[in-house]
Amino acid sequence: MRAAPPLASPSGRFFVIGSVPLARRNLLANKKRLLRSLAGLGFAVLLILMQLGCERAFFESSLRVIHLLDGALFIQSAHKYRFITRQPFPPAVLERARQVPGVASVRPLYADWYDFFWKNPYTGKVFMVQVFAFDPDQPVFDLPAVTAHLAALQAPDTVLVDRRARPFLGMGGKAAAAELNGRRVRIVGRFALGPDFQSDGTVMMSARTFASLLPPGVARGVEAGIVTLKPGADPQAVARALKAALPSDIAVFTKAQLLRFERDFEARVSSAGIIFAMGTIVGFIVGALISYQIVYTDLADQLPQYATLKAIGYGPFYIARVVLRQAGLLAVGGWVPAFVASLLLYRILGELALIPFTTSPYIIIASFALTLGMCLLSAVFAMMPAVAADPAEVF
Amino acid sequence: MSVPLARRLLAHDKRRTALAVIGIFLAIVLVFFELGLFFAVPRGGLLLYDHMRFDLMLTSNQYEYLSDPGAFAKSWLERVRAVPQVARVMPVYFASAKWQSGVGGRWPDLFVIGFATAASPFTGGGIDRQIAVLRRPDTILLDATTRPLFGPLTPGRVVTIDGRRETIGGTYRLGTGFMGLGVALVGQRNFARLFPLRGLNFVNLGAIALKPGVDPDRAAQEIRKIVPGDLRIFTRRQLEAHEIAYWTTRSAVGLIFGSGLVVAIAVGIMIVYQALATQISQHLPQFATLKAIGYGERSLYAALAAMAVMIMTAGFVPAALAALWLYAIIRRTTLLPTAMTGKEILLVIAASLAIAVISALLSAASLRRADPAEVFDRRPR
Repeated sequence: MRAAPPLASPSGRFFVIGSVPLARRNLLANKKRLLRSLAGLGFAVLLILMQLGCERAFFESSLRVIHLLDGALFIQSAHKYRFITRQPFPPAVLERARQVPGVASVRPLYADWYDFFWKNPYTGKVFMVQVFAFDPDQPVFDLPAVTAHLAALQAPDTVLVDRRARPFLGMGGKAAAAELNGRRVRIVGRFALGPDFQSDGTVMMSARTFASLLPPGVARGVEAGIVTLKPGADPQAVARALKAALPSDIAVFTKAQLLRFERDFEARVSSAGIIFAMGTIVGFIVGALISYQIVYTDLADQLPQYATLKAIGYGPFYIARVVLRQAGLLAVGGWVPAFVASLLLYRILGELALIPFTTSPYIIIASFALTLGMCLLSAVFAMMPAVAADPAEVF
Repeated sequence: MSVPLARRLLAHDKRRTALAVIGIFLAIVLVFFELGLFFAVPRGGLLLYDHMRFDLMLTSNQYEYLSDPGAFAKSWLERVRAVPQVARVMPVYFASAKWQSGVGGRWPDLFVIGFATAASPFTGGGIDRQIAVLRRPDTILLDATTRPLFGPLTPGRVVTIDGRRETIGGTYRLGTGFMGLGVALVGQRNFARLFPLRGLNFVNLGAIALKPGVDPDRAAQEIRKIVPGDLRIFTRRQLEAHEIAYWTTRSAVGLIFGSGLVVAIAVGIMIVYQALATQISQHLPQFATLKAIGYGERSLYAALAAMAVMIMTAGFVPAALAALWLYAIIRRTTLLPTAMTGKEILLVIAASLAIAVISALLSAASLRRADPAEVFDRRPR
């Protein structure tokens, strides 16, 4: 970006000054102070990035399973208030769904969150776990580590476990067997899913093993039907047809709808959204203050120079533009290192907390917009004295 | 001379000082915010225990935390009742049920707590005076913070829970903590009717009240002798420590707010450091003069530290007030029990002092440049 040409240059005398990248030179004039300023600003931006990252990790952790389900439409009980809760329905519903035109396959997913107790094979301690089950001939998860072990899952009392489960469950390592609901089960493979805020770890198994391990008295049935479509079928149209064909206490979702359903639930009942939004706002205010301090100090130091510019004919808009450009450069200079640091921090937090800490286009855009916003906003407030600088008075 | 010097330096450019104070005010608010949430999480996990009368708690050795406590045979609790130091034992039962009367046909999960109305372990929140209500058949008490998803909590409303018709007898104020979106208290007879397969032979928690003057640790040792090894006995303090450790180390929550706290402190350091460093660079000749007339670096450092502490102090009180207001908002909007306790205030003071000291140390490097000969030599203006 070039600085604007001077406002008053009848003879072209000021052309040289006009093309001087004044904003950049101003910033670079005192490198030590610039470094200090960027560090301060960078930490405020990092704070914002942390809040945005935590929020995303929180929501994504509960959506991860839905992302991994390999289907276009989903059938579940209409009484479910969220995906991750038990509300089974009779398998006959799936039979009916298979007859709906446009449906290629409907595969059952069985699940439980309250009735399976996993015994850590290393410590012998028992913990409640999340369980998913399916027919190995009709897999429902789009997870290579699961697909690779389908044949082994056919054998009774075999399970796949989550090697990213919380460490105290002892699902990682080399153990080849463990106990589930008091019965010995063989571990035939490990996949990487990770815990969420509801469960610490996940076990997958065949529908038959699931049925035999489920304690007596617990309602039985299918938790969800995973629907694939025939080529060319319109998901919305098939969803409507399914809805019409199935009982009224059955709901049909597209994947996007199911993701929104779960996200809306989390947003409504959990406080995560509010908490992280509050943190982001505080980060923004702190950042604006830091950048105000930077711009204000800089302008105060250079007041005579700005007055000189005015005396030789540059108008207040020119000065305002220089200051805003300087603020823009500051925003970029503060954001870039903070963003790089956030990637590292997400990585570390993701490994420690085992929840999906990753950046996203939304995080990148939102954090940069907030950074730019706080720098420009504070520059507008800080530049008042310089814009108003009266050459006569300053000298 | 350090303190007056610091004061005069700060008084010299009031606008700049005001900026620094506002900056540090925000940093301290941020520390309060993260620390408040960090503590609110285990406090949320302790809400139920905080409202129970007990000196010792008997649990299965599979006890993980309140919502995953394991179960043990009730007969052991009967045995404990016979121990001379024990005043009374109070069994507590947990179960989860479907609330089939939710808004929009949804069936949210209800966390149900059963107990003997004759030996209620609960106190406060208006539970005591409603015990009689629970003696009515098929009647429940609901936590007042049960979510709107459950529909109106009006006394007298008849709802369906796991296929049974139950009447809402009233509400109590205790907080659902992390037990679920809705929590109900029921008498044990009603509990057994709601969960026929579960029955009353296995209890989740055995609250034990001791006779006055009995040492809980001693009594715990006595009870230890008569119960089998697959049971666990906690004193009140041990149980609290166990829950706090669970929430701060086992869940991601501690990590999230802990890392937020670290970043908040780093931001605070940056703000104060920036304020101090600007002061130094603006007054480099003056500092050099002080050095030239014989003041040691040590006293100049002391002035820096004094400035840092002064800025800090000025920011702290308004920050604490703002945090009180922020906590009230968090309590109202998120139901997390944030509270300004002595421990919290002390920790924030400690964090603030750390910020002051570290930023003073960082800016001391610029002070070292205040070499009289050089500073004046380099000033052509």
